[in-house]
Amino acid sequence: MESHDGAWSLKEVQKLEGHTDRVWSVAWNPAAGVAGVPAMLASCSGDKTVRVWEQNPSSSSWFCKAVLDETHTRTVRSCAWSPSGKLLATGSFDATTAIWENVGGDFECVSTLEGHENEVKSVCWNASGSLLATCGRDRSVWIWEVLPGNEFECASVLQGHTQDVKMVQWHPTMDILFSCSYDNTIKIWAEDGDDDWHCVQTLSEANGGHTSTVWALSFNTAGDKMVTCSDDLTIKVWETDSAKMMSGDGYVPWSHVCTLSGYHDRTIFSVHWSREGIIASGAADDAIRFFVESKDGSVDGPSYKMILRNEKAHDMDVNSVRWSHGENRFLASASDDGTVKIWELVPVI
Amino acid sequence: MSERFSATLRIGDLNDFIAPSQACIVSVKGLKPASSAKSDKPEVAIASRAVKTEPVKISLKDCLACSGCITSAETVMLEKQSLDEFLSNIDKGKAVMISISPQSRASLAAHFGLSPLQVLRKLVTFFKSMGVKAVFDTSCSRDISLIESCNEFMMRYKQTKSKGDNPLPMLASACPGWICYAEKTLGSYILPYISSVKSPQQTMGAALKHHVCQIMGLRVDEIYHVSIMPCYDKKLEAVRDDFVFQLDSPNEAQLDVVPLAEVDSVLTSGEVLDLIKLKAVDFKSLEESPLDKMMTNVDEDGHLYGVLGSSGGYAETIFRYAAKELFGRDIEGPLDFKIIRNSDFQEVSLEVDGKTVLKFALCYGFRNLQNIVRKVKINKCDYDFVEVMACPSGCLNGGGQIKPEPGQSAKDLIQRLETVYMDQVSVADPFRNPLVRKLYDEWLEQPGSKKAKKYMHTEYHPVVKSISSQLHNW
Repeated sequence: MESHDGAWSLKEVQKLEGHTDRVWSVAWNPAAGVAGVPAMLASCSGDKTVRVWEQNPSSSSWFCKAVLDETHTRTVRSCAWSPSGKLLATGSFDATTAIWENVGGDFECVSTLEGHENEVKSVCWNASGSLLATCGRDRSVWIWEVLPGNEFECASVLQGHTQDVKMVQWHPTMDILFSCSYDNTIKIWAEDGDDDWHCVQTLSEANGGHTSTVWALSFNTAGDKMVTCSDDLTIKVWETDSAKMMSGDGYVPWSHVCTLSGYHDRTIFSVHWSREGIIASGAADDAIRFFVESKDGSVDGPSYKMILRNEKAHDMDVNSVRWSHGENRFLASASDDGTVKIWELVPVI
Repeated sequence: MSERFSATLRIGDLNDFIAPSQACIVSVKGLKPASSAKSDKPEVAIASRAVKTEPVKISLKDCLACSGCITSAETVMLEKQSLDEFLSNIDKGKAVMISISPQSRASLAAHFGLSPLQVLRKLVTFFKSMGVKAVFDTSCSRDISLIESCNEFMMRYKQTKSKGDNPLPMLASACPGWICYAEKTLGSYILPYISSVKSPQQTMGAALKHHVCQIMGLRVDEIYHVSIMPCYDKKLEAVRDDFVFQLDSPNEAQLDVVPLAEVDSVLTSGEVLDLIKLKAVDFKSLEESPLDKMMTNVDEDGHLYGVLGSSGGYAETIFRYAAKELFGRDIEGPLDFKIIRNSDFQEVSLEVDGKTVLKFALCYGFRNLQNIVRKVKINKCDYDFVEVMACPSGCLNGGGQIKPEPGQSAKDLIQRLETVYMDQVSVADPFRNPLVRKLYDEWLEQPGSKKAKKYMHTEYHPVVKSISSQLHNW
């Protein structure tokens, strides 16, 4: 963001059509779109399928490379690539999580993780790809250890949320897990060194947190700030002491920094923090908005300002927004309107 | 749902959008009349009677049969399983018999700083002063469960070698939290692996109500049998339809056939402590009474005896038995259990000529249970037997145990209980238990006999998911 303080515009690069029901979530393959490998994106939908999209290197246009179907029997709610980009995890309302392996461009379901009582809502790999977290309507958060040979072993079943758990996210550098829920809280889970995981902090209304369902969370690159979004129509930014965190001296708690309110008038389903510090949000008002930390030097601590919005990004709710990993400011969005859109955020000169 | 059920059961109650009041089929339709609730007879509707609806109540039994919630209402659980119910049955003049589990004994022993034997003798004094007829020990009936388990394992092992239906690994069946979870959420693929042997609680109930009562000169319907357990889930076990029977009445037409339960009520270790407090008894200074030797593992010198293994010793006992019977190996000294990924997942194996011929595991707690279930499902489980228990640390850590003292950590308490559990209790082979031998000689004939199958084994039933539990949500 240092590079540009002026106005921005959002360019629709392409609309990806193919899903026959609402699209819940999108995920950029972290190993693609860099070093000459064509960019790749997965999307999952109420039509029970996952679509893998790839950018044609010569024409730059996107096409559907694969449809992963006939595995999940209900809505596929969430998808996540492993850090190596080799494996794709998909969580479904059919209570299972499927693991797909990219074998020479073909996707094979190599493992199915069962255990959740009902709908799986979110899946997430840790930074090293050695752990996979899942969560769901059964209020539980599961941690799976990834073993050689596409074997998975349950390392923990965490019960602490009192309602549906909407999303799990690992910290970008440390093996600390964050979950957010219909119970309005964000819970932070860490291992105690004795092969046991525990809740080390709960961020609730009492400590500046949300007053309704927390739908999503995302970290900045340094991992010392976190953004959360909620049904209470606010976006909240949290931070931790990064120096202390890096010293590895036990758990360092998170605290509320600021609340962005008055921008959305419908539920905010998704937030994602870009590498260069732009927060994108997607909401039930069909809009996508962008925020950056304001450099106004306010005495009340950091504040954030909206730099751009697209009021009619989709015809219906925006369920997921995700920045690409590459150099360009590409954003993917998924919507109830059944489409995925690729956007580029460009400075207006 | 009550926090006091095992975590495995609690995770089964996960329907956050459908509160029990909406999801519960019973509350919508009302209960079936009690008389028709378990009859296999064709039902004839009689108009005048059908109109009378009883006030809607949910019993534990209804909850067991439903795949929705287990219920959040603690009151449901306690209807027939409470101290009040226990006391009122003494007052009614029933022949109240109590069976105490060794885990509950250990819990009270640790709490009062006594030995298990002292606790048992004082409990005899305490309960008999209230009018209880007899106080027994489920280590005794557990020896029946263990013998039947050894026998079942041998059958399965031989059948597997000749490709029979009853597969290995054999999974232990004594933990009701695990059984309930298996029936409700795992269903038909896992059930054939579960041992058909009843738990010690139920083998005690079957022995008392089908055989011992006659020796004592009592009618079976005079007996009110209470077990004292480390675990709330045992209350659910006691009300299973499989453990309810009817008197074989040759002449009387079936007017008012009263169903009888092997176990009428279950109290937890903690509830017994509550009762001691309620009666304002100074437990430590109570006299010690002689034990009821008919169904208590106590030897001529007055010492308690039982198997090693604070969750029932299933893996321990069957492993030793199979090593001897199948491979002629007498294992001296303690078994070499190796910790696999945590102290709640251990395995022991037997090697013959450099080849592993037997591989057993202890698997406690929900996450370890998940991994066993997963391996069984994808056909990658190479264990011959797994002692599955829902609670981390096993039965000594059951939800019904007395809570840690202020300042005492849960881990400290478990360690204390592990020490107390076999304190002055001698290790004895179930096959040499004279009480159990007598039961076989007089009644059950042989391990695995037709009679033994009838009284000491049970069946499991997958619970079909109801529509309400599958309602579409996001």
